Amino acid sequence: MSWALSNASYLAHLTGQNAYLALVPVLAGLLVSLPLGVLCVRYGWLYPPVLGLTSILYALPALALFVVLIAYTGLSDTTVMIPLGVYSLAAIFPSVVDGLRSVPEPVRQAAIAMGFGTWRRLITVELPISVPVIIAGLRVATVSSISLVSVGALIGTGGLGDLFTDGEARDFSTEIIVGVVLIVVLTIVADAVLVLARRLLTPWQRGAGRETRTASMRASLRGQAGGGAALT
Amino acid sequence: MITFENVTKQYPGGTVAVDGLNLEVPAGQTMVLVGPSGCGKTTSLRMINRLIDPTSGRILLDGKDIQQSNPATLRRGIGYVIQQAGLFPHRTIVDNIATVPLLIGWTKAKARDRARELMDLVGLDADMARRYPHQLSGGQQQRVGVARALAADPPVLLMDEPFSAVDPIVRASLQDELLRLQAELHKTVVLVTHDIEEAIKVGDQVAIFKPGGHLVQVDSPQQLLTAPANEYVEDFLGFDRGIRRLSFLAAGSLELDTEVIAGQDTTASAALAKVRGAGAGWLLVVDPARLPRGWLSSADLEAAPGSSQVGNLSLTPRGHTFRADTDSLRAALDATVLSATGQAVGVDADGKAVGVTSYERLRTAIQRGAAGQPQPTSAQEVPAS
Repeated sequence: MSWALSNASYLAHLTGQNAYLALVPVLAGLLVSLPLGVLCVRYGWLYPPVLGLTSILYALPALALFVVLIAYTGLSDTTVMIPLGVYSLAAIFPSVVDGLRSVPEPVRQAAIAMGFGTWRRLITVELPISVPVIIAGLRVATVSSISLVSVGALIGTGGLGDLFTDGEARDFSTEIIVGVVLIVVLTIVADAVLVLARRLLTPWQRGAGRETRTASMRASLRGQAGGGAALT
Repeated sequence: MITFENVTKQYPGGTVAVDGLNLEVPAGQTMVLVGPSGCGKTTSLRMINRLIDPTSGRILLDGKDIQQSNPATLRRGIGYVIQQAGLFPHRTIVDNIATVPLLIGWTKAKARDRARELMDLVGLDADMARRYPHQLSGGQQQRVGVARALAADPPVLLMDEPFSAVDPIVRASLQDELLRLQAELHKTVVLVTHDIEEAIKVGDQVAIFKPGGHLVQVDSPQQLLTAPANEYVEDFLGFDRGIRRLSFLAAGSLELDTEVIAGQDTTASAALAKVRGAGAGWLLVVDPARLPRGWLSSADLEAAPGSSQVGNLSLTPRGHTFRADTDSLRAALDATVLSATGQAVGVDADGKAVGVTSYERLRTAIQRGAAGQPQPTSAQEVPAS
């Protein structure tokens, strides 16, 4: 405890770095997933091959990707963030597709019949209704991204993961424990922010929405199953 | 006015959904498209707002080919109600209803004012405005669906099986509501249903389709029941077509018996003389306000002391009544069949007894109705009390 206190500013720096390294790729994953998901819903034949590709990318071991990327991007933040971005994409993309598909057909039909254009329908009807499912995917991506950053410590850019390599080198377990605790806290805070965001974005969901909830659960279950593979 | 000119819809693969449809929907009337599944009725409806485009032929809206219009613009001018209401789950009731006004550029305040006005029109409590669709019952959601379709005051309203997903009681009240709204708003309504009862109840005109996308007959409901074009229509109308025709004959054509009604203070002997004089078996006892109380048979009257007042004797319940001025012959017949005495009481708007039916009198009225032109009734097949 006293070690943690005396190194508070260093720990804060690592926590901030960890958050940065984890969340920028999630954001990038979301920004790529949205148009990709929209395309795959509109042209249904695209979905299976794209899903297959993202699943394969998800299965790639992070460390192997680092090694490959070092040749191009060196020992930089980018080397850590590119694999995380790919994993985020793999977690978020299917939830965008599921989310858009969770829009009930009568709702879509009614929107068309009332004279919504394609874009307006997407932005004001389909995406808002997809929010719960998309955020479920976002939560999976965020949680796994935060903990995966620590693998980057092996190439020297690991955020809180640096505490693990350092702690092990010095045979100093307190440092490792503090690292684990901070990662857990960071994860919980990030997840709570997303839950809060969902609540604010979906006021209509309170006290109902069984269907969307089931869809979110499905998305997060699949995310967890995949997350395990990615960690290896 | 909506005009179908030789409209055909053929899907890739050869299925013909609509085959050479010619149909005119007069402005301000309700046209019901009815038929079994696969008869092309829904396809026909969805071609009007270009959710489906015809393979050949033209559809004119007030003389203008809809193929020339931008689909989105066209649709904003046509109200659309579907079976599951299709409300936006993420928007409040008031915002759901305000959808089309907002699309065509009204200010938010104006659109919401209009939405609240419509909630009132379709019979929704104002305190539902801020709720979300899932917090409403199916029937209420369907009312919101109708309000949303009417929000921008489109001249045309398309309804695709609007009442199929609700229970029969709610369905009946929504149908009544549609009749009430239509009497007020005079929209050009095209409604699709597979329920011939619904078609007959809400349609000014009914178009009967058969599988393969063929239109078989277009007529007013009473004309359909009177003169079905062929066996298919006859079968589709169902076995009790004759009885249902009575819905279009006014109970006012009945000559009710006014002789066998007696105030409750009449003596048994005077009442007995009255019944015998009329050659009837039953006497209706009314209170001083002429509200029907119950029946006495001539046997009851013979058994009673001659000086006793009929109001103090034990009466057979009055049974069902019907409105003599507004109900149909069907309601009068129904009330008569259900009545223990084989006679039913015709009442006025205040529930006061006007006269009583008998099978003989019904027979005369029905025969006269079958021979002559049916008289319009203001309410159809709603047995009173």
